[in-house]
Amino acid sequence: MLGVACILIYLAIWKKFEPLLLLPMGFGSLLANLPLSMMASTDTGGLLNFFYQGVKHEILPPIIFMGVGALTDFGPLLANPTTLLLGAAAQIGVYTTLIGAVYLGFNMQEAAAIGIIGGADGPTSIFIASKLAPHLLAPIAVAAYSYMSLVPLIQPPIMKLFTTEEERKIKMEQLKPISQTVKIVFPVVVTIVCCLLLPGVTPLLGMFMLGNMFRESGVTARLHETTETHLINIVTIMLALSVGSSMTADSFLRIETIKIIVLGLLAFSFATAGGLLFGKLMCKLSGGKVNPLIGSAGVSAVPMAARVSQKVGADADSSNFLLMHAMGPNVAGVIGSAVAAGVFVSLFGDVGSAVDTHAALAPVIGNPEPGMQALATVVEVVKQ
Amino acid sequence: MEASVSAALSVSALAMAVIFTVLTLLIFTIKALVKLIPYKAPPAPPARKASASSAAPGQDDQVAAITASLAAHMGKRPDEFRIVNIQSR
Repeated sequence: MLGVACILIYLAIWKKFEPLLLLPMGFGSLLANLPLSMMASTDTGGLLNFFYQGVKHEILPPIIFMGVGALTDFGPLLANPTTLLLGAAAQIGVYTTLIGAVYLGFNMQEAAAIGIIGGADGPTSIFIASKLAPHLLAPIAVAAYSYMSLVPLIQPPIMKLFTTEEERKIKMEQLKPISQTVKIVFPVVVTIVCCLLLPGVTPLLGMFMLGNMFRESGVTARLHETTETHLINIVTIMLALSVGSSMTADSFLRIETIKIIVLGLLAFSFATAGGLLFGKLMCKLSGGKVNPLIGSAGVSAVPMAARVSQKVGADADSSNFLLMHAMGPNVAGVIGSAVAAGVFVSLFGDVGSAVDTHAALAPVIGNPEPGMQALATVVEVVKQ
Repeated sequence: MEASVSAALSVSALAMAVIFTVLTLLIFTIKALVKLIPYKAPPAPPARKASASSAAPGQDDQVAAITASLAAHMGKRPDEFRIVNIQSR
């Protein structure tokens, strides 16, 4: 395991693979695997065991999401809201991987945690893994962040495979400007709509939208600045060290790790293909006004995936500027992967307790959530 | 194994349907928001008033340079005095 830790440190420093994450993760793993160091996530009373409580109790990923929200501009998405569908289509990678994982012998909860790698969203992957399959947290986090850093290598061949030269040259109309009031109202509306429909998504999406409110409200400059810089940096260190501390030999040096690495690559590839194919459909339906390349940005991985769309588009026609158009599906991908995570939490997480609560309340307030009961039925079927 | 894969297929179909439904709902919400609260261009910044000085057009750089030099020489702030005329010889 010391060798694996050193490889992660090497990849971070010399290959620049998500260094902000892989460096502390690798060093955390190094510390955890030193004999008698008491630095593994399971060493009660050890330093990294305290940090790990933030992962175990789902505290750190939502705080990272708040920072991401503070860094996110929803302007391109609001200017062209139909690109939300590209963010939804790219989630196909999550579900094809889930099916593949089940086929390879993982149970449904483990498969869900592996599948969410296709959401290309590190904090979401860690959030779901810690909730549904904590024993797979380390390989899932390593796969998610490694492939996110490899987006510029993974996506272009798939983009060229699924699109023609003419499609890549399509120039899109300039985006309309959006009122600042809409930008302020949007996070509140998303929080209400999504969190009412999928309560499991609230920790991630709620904090994401809070961070965005700090940014757009214009009255919390200090909170915005802190959230998008110092807070997200501090929490990133703690999160990566915690994940690294869970990378012990018995949890990482297993055949399952290799399966997860392979499935993670498939997840990214299918997610890219799903976004592209839906982009092609939108291109056809819009009469050639949508460049299908922006579909690949629906995999999240902000802003790397949008940059890749821009680059591949510019390779076909150097006067083609797709970056801002691709930011719409890119941000939609973040929302889409959070919603996908919410679906998994609703299906395999704490839905039982929520249903119990609603059952207790039913005589008082009627039958408030038939959707929850439907989900509970599905859970029962899946368990059987 | 077969039962598990079929369950995974059911979960996937259900989840994709939920995601598309939620995001479609958001699309209509955004469209309604954008329609209800249209973008208004910010008022154009007021046109720069013509300089009170009688310096000829194109002499702005000279006025700025002379103002800075005089301010340093007299120990005053630039807004405490005004250059009203420049005559070339």
